[in-house]
Amino acid sequence: MMSKLAAMECNRVIHSQVRNKKQSGEKMKSILKNLTLCSFMIVLGWMSASFAQNEPGTQNNDAAVVAPAKAQDTAPGASPVIAPASAVTEVSPVTPALPVPDTTPVALSVPMTRTEKDAVCTRCHDENEVKPMLAIYQTKHGVKADTRTPACQSCHGESKNHLSNRSAPDVLFGTRRGSSRAFAPSDATVQNEACLSCHKNDAKRSHWEGSTHQSRDVACASCHEVHNAHDKVRDKRDQPGVCFTCHKEQRAQINKPSHHPIPEGKMTCTDCHNPHGSVGPKLMKRDSVNDTCYACHMEKRGPFVHEHQPVSEDCTTCHNPHGTTAESMLKMRPPFLCNSCHTPHAPIQASLAGQTTAPSAISWLNSPTFTQGRGCLNCHTQVHGSNNPSSANPASQNLFR
Amino acid sequence: MKTPKTQFDFSRSILALAVLAAIGSAYAADDEVTRLTQPESTASAGLGGVTGNSKDRSIYGQYNGRRLDGSNFLLDVDYVKRDDALGLWTNFKGNNLGLDTQEMSFSQNRQGDWKYAVEYSELVRRDPRTINTGLVYAATTTPTVVSVSAAGAGRDIDLDLRRKAASLSAEKWLTSSLLFEASVKSENKEGARLSGIGVACSPLLTINCSSLSGAILLLPEPVSTTTKQFEARLNYSGDKFLVSGGYYGSFFSNANGSINPAISGNLYNPDGSVLDLSATPGSSLAGYLQQPVALPPDNQAQQLYVSGNYAFTKTTHATFKYSYTHATQNADFASVGLSGAPAGVSNLGGVMDSTLVQFGVTARPMTLLSMLANLRYEDKADKTPLALYNGAYTNDLNSSRKLNGKLEASYKLPDNYRATLGVDYATVHRDLPVPTAAVLNPAIPPLAGLREDTKEIGYRAELQRSMSETINASVAYMRSIRNGGSWLGIGPPNTTGNPSTDTYPMTMEDRTRNKVRLSADWTPINSLSLQFMLEGGSDIYASPTNKGLRESAMNSIGVDAAYAMSENWKLTGYINQSTQTLHVDHNVGYVAELEDVSTTLGLGAIGKVTTKLEVGGDLSLMDDTNHYKQSMATGAAIVGGGLPDVTYRMSRIKLYGKYAIQKNGNIRIDLVQQSVQFDEWTWGNNGTTFTYSDNSSVSMQQNQSVTFLGASYLYKFK
Repeated sequence: MMSKLAAMECNRVIHSQVRNKKQSGEKMKSILKNLTLCSFMIVLGWMSASFAQNEPGTQNNDAAVVAPAKAQDTAPGASPVIAPASAVTEVSPVTPALPVPDTTPVALSVPMTRTEKDAVCTRCHDENEVKPMLAIYQTKHGVKADTRTPACQSCHGESKNHLSNRSAPDVLFGTRRGSSRAFAPSDATVQNEACLSCHKNDAKRSHWEGSTHQSRDVACASCHEVHNAHDKVRDKRDQPGVCFTCHKEQRAQINKPSHHPIPEGKMTCTDCHNPHGSVGPKLMKRDSVNDTCYACHMEKRGPFVHEHQPVSEDCTTCHNPHGTTAESMLKMRPPFLCNSCHTPHAPIQASLAGQTTAPSAISWLNSPTFTQGRGCLNCHTQVHGSNNPSSANPASQNLFR
Repeated sequence: MKTPKTQFDFSRSILALAVLAAIGSAYAADDEVTRLTQPESTASAGLGGVTGNSKDRSIYGQYNGRRLDGSNFLLDVDYVKRDDALGLWTNFKGNNLGLDTQEMSFSQNRQGDWKYAVEYSELVRRDPRTINTGLVYAATTTPTVVSVSAAGAGRDIDLDLRRKAASLSAEKWLTSSLLFEASVKSENKEGARLSGIGVACSPLLTINCSSLSGAILLLPEPVSTTTKQFEARLNYSGDKFLVSGGYYGSFFSNANGSINPAISGNLYNPDGSVLDLSATPGSSLAGYLQQPVALPPDNQAQQLYVSGNYAFTKTTHATFKYSYTHATQNADFASVGLSGAPAGVSNLGGVMDSTLVQFGVTARPMTLLSMLANLRYEDKADKTPLALYNGAYTNDLNSSRKLNGKLEASYKLPDNYRATLGVDYATVHRDLPVPTAAVLNPAIPPLAGLREDTKEIGYRAELQRSMSETINASVAYMRSIRNGGSWLGIGPPNTTGNPSTDTYPMTMEDRTRNKVRLSADWTPINSLSLQFMLEGGSDIYASPTNKGLRESAMNSIGVDAAYAMSENWKLTGYINQSTQTLHVDHNVGYVAELEDVSTTLGLGAIGKVTTKLEVGGDLSLMDDTNHYKQSMATGAAIVGGGLPDVTYRMSRIKLYGKYAIQKNGNIRIDLVQQSVQFDEWTWGNNGTTFTYSDNSSVSMQQNQSVTFLGASYLYKFK
């Protein structure tokens, strides 16, 4: 078996090298090296195979990975021309690293194991790809005991033309951005249909259809790296970098001094947003902006004896949760923020302690008191609402205490 | 074009197979196959050190656990075990285990059958600003204010908020189409946040301290709260539909009900003179200042919901959700030190019932045409009982109803054009104040105008074109107009015979919004991709007085690039500049023109120097300047120059090197250098510190520069 595999691999690599035009002398040396190595390998492979056949208890490599014939390939996205699920015997996903010894297009109407189906692809696509192929078997898509896991063609389509003349496969995932790939990716709708054929039954994706990402043709593979054992967007530390590929403004804002701990890796975008669609605005994870904020800031929820109406309406009226240079992620410094809704107290412009223009140096009812420190909040401290029942002064209805 | 594999001297596959052949057994093949296909675990351990003191690190160490300690262990674990026969995953993950921001989780998952996870995490937010104060029992519910002789003469206090959260979640596929999910999460938050109180001796507010002006005190708010969240959901899925029914409960409790400050001795006036509290009117002022301050009350909300989707056909789908939320707040007043409640009222008895209904449809009636429609209705009914919290007047209710609608159609035109048209509709109905509410008390000046109804309708048009396989571009234009019903609260013009100059809330004013966005992706060569983005927009506001926020605008331009120099070296870079402006006409005689200009630049590189050595780095630069230009409404300049700019400049370099000292072991070196210059007038300006009445002050080191160096060993295992 090993010698057959080696012969196949050698055949593929060396033919590929020979096909390259304008081979330099160095490249020819490389071919000779590979030929030498291959010869050595084939001989050793033949010898070891002979030895293994004589060793008690040693199984054929293919047989070793055949699992009990209970699991079926039931991936809803499987191409209809692939053998009926009932005819497919479950096989360990570990064998696709091993090419099948036949370069002719595979007759897909013949029942095949899932491994054999994958081998149709892995005889050419292997660890030498820019993005190594086999890592997918390290992921949840490679769990052999899960009858739902797909074969290559479940997602990429039957790709008959690709097999016969190396044109584009039926479904190619991802985006062109930052990649060096031969073929343009498929339409996002086509890509996503392949993914959703299995993943549609997850409640977290129930509102994908009609969501901003869906209607803007964002493909699942625009964010997810299915073939990578480390899918960045599912890693707390790496996820923001994926989102910032498109959301540039937020990339800048999280670097401001007042921010949620996103750059520190303690929060992720998906702590607040559901990129797969939601009922809330801005793909908020909960049903509204406030409901999402309350998950961590429940003390702001009330209801209070004395409410501050915009607080209960939308936290983002005053806060930019991605980051600002004002404290508490306020969109503006007081008094300017407050004066966007409220009439200023006195006919004086904002000024600072020590400025000659600051009137009433003896009085705390002066401009620096409205401008510096916590600004208006120096007195109106309960800006999120006061639960003080007292009518005694200073009156809690004015959110003083 | 894909990089030809044949450029390698030896194909890695050949090498692998050669090795396997040399070993000569199927077992060896299994080893190699296992290496490539079995999930990998990692564990890393090391030491890290950061330069400077806690003030040098106050921004850098705000959340990362490195503010106080100059050195720490670097410990991370990611253990993954998969039982292929059972499809059973076992995971243990620990991040930042050497810091007080540690996180760990353990989970098991039999894929397609069941899973559970236990998580624990800590997060500390250290306020980057330092308080200098004479406060005794600071950050407790019973602080005692003790003045210090001058700003900076007290002791330094750094505030922090520590969150510790634990959660348990589980799910089980009951049948192939029925999934049950449940989770519980509890989070405890301890610490303190910057807060304070102020009292103005204003006859208008009937706060009578005679000739005094008032006082402001810095009183950090003590935080000791617990939040609990429970969620359970049953999902039923079929070929054409998914429906989920669930419960979500969230409960907040606060160990601190009120702050009861005491004042020992006298305070100071802004000019430094002593504010005598020992006799009237100072003693009257002290009485006001020592009134209890309410802290956030216990509250809870429980929600039941049904949600899901339905596929009428392969190209026509519907989504829906209905939820009902019952939120209450009945924290006892007296037991937390809050007196003065109306007779017979021991708690607010707050009840807020919310109903949400959403229904959406997407369809592709033709191959080239896709459409969507969505409707969302939310009704918040405040059912809190009314009581005379304001003497002769009652509390108010805060009910509202919101309706949002959206229609969108997208059509693929010839020549790879795609056109999208959309209409957005939004209405907000806020119930008028109840007749007994204080806001309708003619003797009490209202704080802001109210508007019962606002509605906004917006139109969007977008044209995308895929000009080739390597160029995509789009241009989008959006316009929306918001208006509404009559105003209530502060007087409309001429109610007193004179035109009102009051300010009306920006969230309710009439608004006309225009926005344009241009973007393009270009891949000139396979190894280089570029993104261009240009965005601009403006909001024009109108209110009965034309005072307050009049206009705002934003512009943004940016370029991103990614370049693969070779299979081993990749470069990235971006530059972005955005500008936001606001024009505010204040009724008190001056105009504010605010402008925020923010420029960011980033460069990144990652490469494999040899098969064993990988290096990478990022450079991030930010320059953010807020201009606070003020001028008199007459056009005259502000005397004294007005407010200076607030500037924030940050540069950060992150470098790492990873060297494989063995097949499954790496040494990793990390170097981070961050410099920050933050010049703000919030707590002081030009050498003059803003002080509270007890001479408490707040400060932050304006120039901060830190270097972090970490070395760790990372071990990989199967």
